[in-house]
Amino acid sequence: MATRDEIDTWIARCALGDRAAFQNLYDHTSAKLFGVTLRVLKDRSEAEDALQEIYVKVWKGAKRYATGGASPMTWLITIARNHAIDRLRARKSTEGDDALAFMPDKGPGPEAQAVAASEAQRVEACFDTLEPDRANAVRRAYLDGDSYADLARHFDVPLNTMRTWLRRSLIKLRECLEG
Amino acid sequence: MTETELPEDDRALAGEYVLGLMSMDEAAAFKARLTREPRLAALVLSWQEDFAGLADEVEAVPPPAKVWRGIDRRLFAGARGPRWMLAGIPGILAAALAVMLVFFPVVTGVQPPANPVYHIDLAGDDGTLIFAAGFDGETNELFVRPESGAPDAGTVRELWLIAGDNAPVSMGVLPDAAPARLPVSQDIAAQLDGAVLAISVEPPGGSPTGAPTGPVIATGAVETL
Repeated sequence: MATRDEIDTWIARCALGDRAAFQNLYDHTSAKLFGVTLRVLKDRSEAEDALQEIYVKVWKGAKRYATGGASPMTWLITIARNHAIDRLRARKSTEGDDALAFMPDKGPGPEAQAVAASEAQRVEACFDTLEPDRANAVRRAYLDGDSYADLARHFDVPLNTMRTWLRRSLIKLRECLEG
Repeated sequence: MTETELPEDDRALAGEYVLGLMSMDEAAAFKARLTREPRLAALVLSWQEDFAGLADEVEAVPPPAKVWRGIDRRLFAGARGPRWMLAGIPGILAAALAVMLVFFPVVTGVQPPANPVYHIDLAGDDGTLIFAAGFDGETNELFVRPESGAPDAGTVRELWLIAGDNAPVSMGVLPDAAPARLPVSQDIAAQLDGAVLAISVEPPGGSPTGAPTGPVIATGAVETL
């Protein structure tokens, strides 16, 4: 895995049209982003298409990435996940599921400079303070792109109960993360 | 708070927004608030950063090489110029159009292969597309189409096959301006898969030595279609 500084520099150089930097960025981050995309889409061929579009977005959006702000992997993962979930939702809407909001189109921008960088370990530790089922529900929403309907089905509870659980879990998580 | 009471809390709403759990209406209303409430925007950014930490649990999976080739083609081939006659048309549409062209071919000039087996974009160091080429497996011909530039007076451009570590093998002198079909021997056709093609500048009639003698002005990897 490349260091944060390296990835930072590559993204900044992409903004200047440096294709070699883009290739480096791809070589060092595509496996992670492909993993994230596959996890959401659960279809290899669709995930490959999605990954292409994700890196097209990365190249074109590099100008909006602020060096020294949010973690560069957060920026990349957010783009990948949101794109994959948009595809998942588009697929589901053609299958007749209720329309869900499409993902916000921007990853963390310059404003994120005010936000302290978080560490995955701290996040995991806070997830561990939740009951396993509830932590798992938040994970599924983030990593698998589950909707409330999906989660309610999976955990076999009424939709409103699911929503109440999840909101409470989020508040508890936020308190732990800010603590 | 009872077990079923839904908490209204911006921390939770921002989390739901980032997770993509809101309906269209809810998300639109929340987004409107975001633009005027910096505190809410900061919450969204915190969630994005924190949730991204969950990706640590996800196993990295190296994508197949064709993904990079597709990205490279989509981002940089367009800047190099038209591919076949499908200028500026995104890949998927181009594929659909390519099918149509089989049935409605343009009736003048040298035709590109209806079902090319291989495609090669031959580009210079700066990415300028010099020639686009496609291999017609039915006729064993390489369709070549000049995309930009012309040979300097008194020179020609010659095409070379570089297969693995082998020395370059001439595939013939390229046309100056119009598309053409170059015959390809069975021996060379068999080496195209995974090879690289290159264009060098040569004296009229082509390299006198059987190896490139002038500068290489373009290269391109053979892509399987």
